[in-house]
Amino acid sequence: MAVHSLTVKQIISRVRQVFPDAPETYVMSLINDGLLELASYDTKTAHAKITTAANQMWYDLSDSAYSSSGSTYKLEINKVNKVYLMDSDGDYIQIPRLTNDNLLLTDISSESALNAPDTT
Amino acid sequence: MASNIKYPEDHSMWFIEGDKLALITDVDSSGNTVTSSRKKWKAIQEAVTDGIVLFYNAEPNKVSAITDTPDIDNSMHNSLIDYVKRCLYMDKAGSAPDPNQSAVAMQMANFHNQRWVEATRKFGIKKRDKVGGTKAIVPPDLR
Repeated sequence: MAVHSLTVKQIISRVRQVFPDAPETYVMSLINDGLLELASYDTKTAHAKITTAANQMWYDLSDSAYSSSGSTYKLEINKVNKVYLMDSDGDYIQIPRLTNDNLLLTDISSESALNAPDTT
Repeated sequence: MASNIKYPEDHSMWFIEGDKLALITDVDSSGNTVTSSRKKWKAIQEAVTDGIVLFYNAEPNKVSAITDTPDIDNSMHNSLIDYVKRCLYMDKAGSAPDPNQSAVAMQMANFHNQRWVEATRKFGIKKRDKVGGTKAIVPPDLR
């Protein structure tokens, strides 16, 4: 038996029991606001691949970042849980997270992805 | 194309800085460990197609048609109704000309807000957790 879930139409019809004149587009936009708020919890898990670049330390995780599959595959990351790196056999091995990067001396002289400040 | 790093777990680390993932290694582009104790942790020295796999919490897709199903676990779908009603009652409270109507609308907004908060913050993790939580009530052993 399929599990019960609600479509937007069903949500709107339940809302209209109390607010018969509630506009459809407005309710839909409120649903999207609610989804955005729910996104701060672990509601959806995803996996994505990123291509590394030589001498690049920082990789973009912003809302506009996308995976190596192409620009249509937006990452939409809220929280990174695990990172795997390809080894010399082509297998992906989990690598440790450094929780306090101030403990480690890193050399960024070869860094190619430094963000320059905005120009006026 | 595989990388030249034989043991990534020993020679690479990641950390988060703002909305960037930082990846550092202590091997050169040939996979040889950097011998200098200072300056050994650097950016990865080679380009590897699909070199990183991320496991992460993603944002749910937005709904754009009335036939869409919200992109979250179905146990949280009812909570979205509370969220929508909360907002609509707040709108009503702000626009009602009658103060009594406004007060009642505000009470209803608070009611639905409480249900929303309870569903997301208090029970949200339990509802979405596919492995945790009590599966059955176990009576205490009174012997």
